[in-house]
Amino acid sequence: MNCESTQDQLADYMSGQLPEPEHSELVAHLAGCTSCRAELEAVQRVWRTLGKATTPEPSPNLRPEFYAMLADFKSTLAPEPKYSPKGLWRWLRELQIPQPALRLAYSLALLLVGAVGGYWLNNQPKTTPADQQQLATLAAQVGEMRQVMLLTLIDNPSATERLRAVSYTKELDGAADAKVINALLSTLNHDDNVNVRLATLEALAPLAADPTVRLGLVHALAQQESPLVQSALADVMVQLQEHRSLPQLRALLKQANLDGTVKSKIEESIQTLSTGRPAAPATTPQRHDQTHVFPRAERPALAV
Amino acid sequence: MSTAEYSNNPFIGLDSLTDNALMLRVKAGDVDRMGLLFERHHRALLGFLYHMLGGSRAASEDLVQNVFYRMLKYRHTYSADGEFRTWMYHLARNVLADHVKKNRHAAYHTDVANVADYLGGGHLADEGLEQAQDVLVLHQALARLSPENREVLVLSRFQEMKYGEIAQVLDTTEGAVRVRAHRALKELKTIYLRIEN
Repeated sequence: MNCESTQDQLADYMSGQLPEPEHSELVAHLAGCTSCRAELEAVQRVWRTLGKATTPEPSPNLRPEFYAMLADFKSTLAPEPKYSPKGLWRWLRELQIPQPALRLAYSLALLLVGAVGGYWLNNQPKTTPADQQQLATLAAQVGEMRQVMLLTLIDNPSATERLRAVSYTKELDGAADAKVINALLSTLNHDDNVNVRLATLEALAPLAADPTVRLGLVHALAQQESPLVQSALADVMVQLQEHRSLPQLRALLKQANLDGTVKSKIEESIQTLSTGRPAAPATTPQRHDQTHVFPRAERPALAV
Repeated sequence: MSTAEYSNNPFIGLDSLTDNALMLRVKAGDVDRMGLLFERHHRALLGFLYHMLGGSRAASEDLVQNVFYRMLKYRHTYSADGEFRTWMYHLARNVLADHVKKNRHAAYHTDVANVADYLGGGHLADEGLEQAQDVLVLHQALARLSPENREVLVLSRFQEMKYGEIAQVLDTTEGAVRVRAHRALKELKTIYLRIEN
C-alpha cells in the first residue's frame, strides 16, 4: 500500500466508511509512515473542527412560524369550493404555459369577445316602443313635408321641378290625400310638357284604387292631345278594365286629327274592353315617356 | 439523528409511523401530519442550510420554512418508494440554489456578526472565543469550496449521511461521491491552513 492511496482513504477512515480489509491495511501503513501520519493529523484537525461547528439552536420563532404557515396552507386547501374565481386564478397562475400559447389564447379570447359582443348587439330588440312612436311621428312629418313640397313644386315653371314633384308621389307610399290627387289630375290634364303629363299618369296609375283617381283618369282621355299620352291612357284603361272609358275612347276615335298609330291602338283597346278579355299580362305596357326620369324600369303591377 | 434530540419532542411515542408513511398521509391530504415531520427533521435541515450558507441563522431559518412549504405544495410529487429524507434534501438543495441565485452577491458570505450566534447559543460560551474563532475560520474555508464539494462534506460530516444516501440526494453514484468527498476534504484542509497562518 502506497502513501497516495492511503491519503485517498483518510476521509473514509475518519467517517468510518472504510470497509474491513482496507481499514486494517491503512492502520498498518500509518504505523510505519510518518508523512501519512502527519497528513492524517492535519486532516483530522479539520475534520474535528468541522465536528465542533455545531448547528445553532433554532430560534424560538421557528416552530410557531412553521405552524402558522401550515395553518395558512391548510386554509387555502379546505374551504375553497371547486370552482372559485380565486382558485381558478391561482390555477391559471400555476399553469406553466409557454408565451406564444398564452398570446394565442389571448388573441382568441379577444376574438371571442368581439364575436359574442357583435352577436349580442345584433340580437338586441330593434327599438323600444318609445323609439318606434318617435319614428312613426318623424315618418309622418317627413310625409307631410313631401306633400307640401309636391304641392309647391308642381306649380313650378321648370318642367324638371314639376317632374320631381310628381316623383314624390311614389314616396308618399299611397298616402296621397285629396289635395295631392287633385293637383296631380290637374297636372295630367293641363301641364304643357308631355313628359310631365306622362310621368303624372305613371304616378297616378298605382293610385287607381281610389275612385276619384279612376274617374279622373277616364275623364282625362278627352282632354289629351298628345298621341303619346293618349295611347298610354288607353293602355291604363285596358289594365284597369275600365268600361266607363269606352264612350270616351269612341269619342276620341272620331277626332279628325288623330294619329294613325293611336287610332289603331284605341280600336284595339275598345275591342279588348268590350269583349271583356283581360289584357295579356305578358305584354307589359311599354314606357311612353321619352326621358328616363324614374329609376323604376317597370310600372308596378296593378292591383285591380 | 440521535434519539436525544427527540427527548423534548411531544410527538415521540404518540406516533410510531415512519417518515415515509407520514409523508404519504400528507400527500393524501392529511397535511397536519407535516407537523410531526417538522419536529423530526427541522434541526438537521437547519444545520445543513446553516453550514451551506456559511453560518447565517436567520437566513437558514427562512429557508427551512421554505423547504417545508415546498414539501406541502409539491406533496403530490412524493413517491411511495422514495426515502423521505432524500426527497427533503432534494427540495432543500433547490431552495438553496434559488436563494443563491437571488442573492448572488451575498451568497456564502460569512458575517462576523454570526459569531454571536455561537456565543449566544450557549454551546460554545464556556469553551471561549477561541473556539468560535476556529469555527468562523472553518466557515470561511467552507465558503471557498465549490458548492458541490461543500455539500458532500456538509452532508457526510453534519448530517452523518453515508455515501450511498448522499449519492441518492445528489442524483449521482456512490463512487462519484467518494471521490468528491476526498477532494473536498483535501481542499478544505489546504484552505483552512492558509487562512489560519
